[in-house]
Amino acid sequence: MIEPKRVLRALAEHWALLEPLCEHFDQGTLSLSELRLQLAAHQLDSTPQDITNVLDSWIRLDILVPVAKSPNRFELNAQIHDFLAYLRREHRLGLCLEIEAYLRHLERLAGYIQDAFDIRDSNDLARQLRLLDMRVRDVLKKLANDEQALVAVAERAKTSDRQIPLRQRYAEVLATWDEYVEPMIQLVNADGAFEQGVRKVENVLLRMLSEQQRLGHLVDDDMLLRTHARILEMQTSAQLTLRHARELLLPLREEARRHNAVTRGAALALAAIRRKGLDAVPQAAMPMFTRPQSTFLGSASQVEAYVYALARFEPKPARFPKAHKAHRGETPKAPRTVKEMLDRCSDALPMPDLMSWLLDQEPNGDTDELLYWFSRLSREKRFVRERLERRDYHTHEHLVSLRSFALLSRGDDANETSASPLHAS
Amino acid sequence: MHLDLSELSQLAPIFRELFKGYHVSRRDPELYAQLSNFQDAYRALFKALGFELVCDTRGFYYFVPDTAITSAQVNKTAQRLALFTFIIVEHLADQGRDPIAVLDGGSLGRDELPSLLEKYRDLFVQAEVTTQDELEEKIMRRMTQLGFASEDNGVYRFLPPMHRFLDVCLSVQQDRDLAASLHSILPLPTPVLIDDEAEVEEEDEEAALARAIAAEQQEMDA
Repeated sequence: MIEPKRVLRALAEHWALLEPLCEHFDQGTLSLSELRLQLAAHQLDSTPQDITNVLDSWIRLDILVPVAKSPNRFELNAQIHDFLAYLRREHRLGLCLEIEAYLRHLERLAGYIQDAFDIRDSNDLARQLRLLDMRVRDVLKKLANDEQALVAVAERAKTSDRQIPLRQRYAEVLATWDEYVEPMIQLVNADGAFEQGVRKVENVLLRMLSEQQRLGHLVDDDMLLRTHARILEMQTSAQLTLRHARELLLPLREEARRHNAVTRGAALALAAIRRKGLDAVPQAAMPMFTRPQSTFLGSASQVEAYVYALARFEPKPARFPKAHKAHRGETPKAPRTVKEMLDRCSDALPMPDLMSWLLDQEPNGDTDELLYWFSRLSREKRFVRERLERRDYHTHEHLVSLRSFALLSRGDDANETSASPLHAS
Repeated sequence: MHLDLSELSQLAPIFRELFKGYHVSRRDPELYAQLSNFQDAYRALFKALGFELVCDTRGFYYFVPDTAITSAQVNKTAQRLALFTFIIVEHLADQGRDPIAVLDGGSLGRDELPSLLEKYRDLFVQAEVTTQDELEEKIMRRMTQLGFASEDNGVYRFLPPMHRFLDVCLSVQQDRDLAASLHSILPLPTPVLIDDEAEVEEEDEEAALARAIAAEQQEMDA
């Protein structure tokens, strides 16, 4: 029999050495030489004799135990390992089946309690009630342990390398969901084993309370009430643990499922496109965009009209020519065609500033028309453009601030070795 | 609903960007903050003007085009970008990388594009993308223009609006008809398309002009 105080003292004294070792023991066993290396790394000023002394004391106190059939390898005593895990809040997820087994045992205990009460055996009744109480504490401890373990599972998944495939990254989450959360949902269901067990024990305890009033007290009412309260606490705790597990793992599980769905969808779409062309992807699935910029610049003063529409925007009065009146003054100019403008622009190359050139050409042109030509000519493929600094330009009705372009013909550009990169308009 | 235009200090740039088809996300902090703070006001104002502002809870805003005009049409850009998303997802999954981690805030180097183009040449051809330049111009530049990605020093970072394309993957996955069609010989219903690409428009414009000039000359000759 090892004195508990000595074990606790050794754990406290060597905590700085034991704590890092726990992580290694979580992964597996260690040989004597590996243990010596680990200890030497954490206690730089120690001699080999000191390390031997520490290891000897751990083995004597049963903190370290030899692995069965491998006397040169050691592991932490399972009880000590659990205790250290509790202290380090490093929990391993238990099995849902363990909880179910505890629940079945609780049901059986409820039966024994009922029997003891029926034969009026107060000693047995008190013993069974204590057992029930301890078993409920076991379940509570297990639920708390599992909850910590679930948090760790979620954290590991979230913090692992983003570059490894999601299926691998979330493998533990998916396994935990299938092996723990899903069966727990079944267990804690309204008609699941958990609820049934709790209800059965609760019924026995409540019936006993009322029977004691009638037949006389075998045990203290307080003891029954305390046990009843603990049963209810266990029920709430199970529901909370389950809810917490769902909150933690469901988003990750959904992410993994979504990932699979996205990959499968992409593969399906590519297969369809390979066989039937680009139109094979159903149009309803396609995102729609509004029309691109060229339309925007081509249409008349749209931004202005829209933006100020609600702020008492006043459109200019439209003046239509009247058929019965002879036209006086100069005849209106015919609209310029794209070809005409392109030719004029080509003739004027190289052009230091497109917008200034347009203003020279059309000093009385409408702003929207000038901007249309600016957009149209600057995007013409046979010209090379070079973005200029932002400056203001006066049209006959507006002040326009924009970054104009210098235009060169493709041939000029080919001759220049230090051509500037193109910029998006 | 009372609208105070003075509160909507970013109205003009927000409208300009959204109208271009741009998706505003946290990448544009000022616009995003304005839209988040006055989401209802912006939505009401744009609705009154005939634009539907979508506020996606995954952190981005965009305009949905008028359904009357576009319900039967899928634009070519959307098809190209969707194809690119499918390819990236499969490519990354093949490499054992996590596609969602990359497309949801992750990044892709420009140097990865040539191998991607080589590996999926048969599919890119269908989207009229045959060279690295075309891939960058027709897909990557489009993605950055529409706010799906940002480019910095040869690295493309994918932004939250990419969820729109991940949603396409999900809806394809749920589309039993499509899965079934892969095992049948019947053709799929073909959507009606319009090409709203700028370059296509320009070509059309040129062609129309040439036709008009030819007609004019014929008239003059007559």
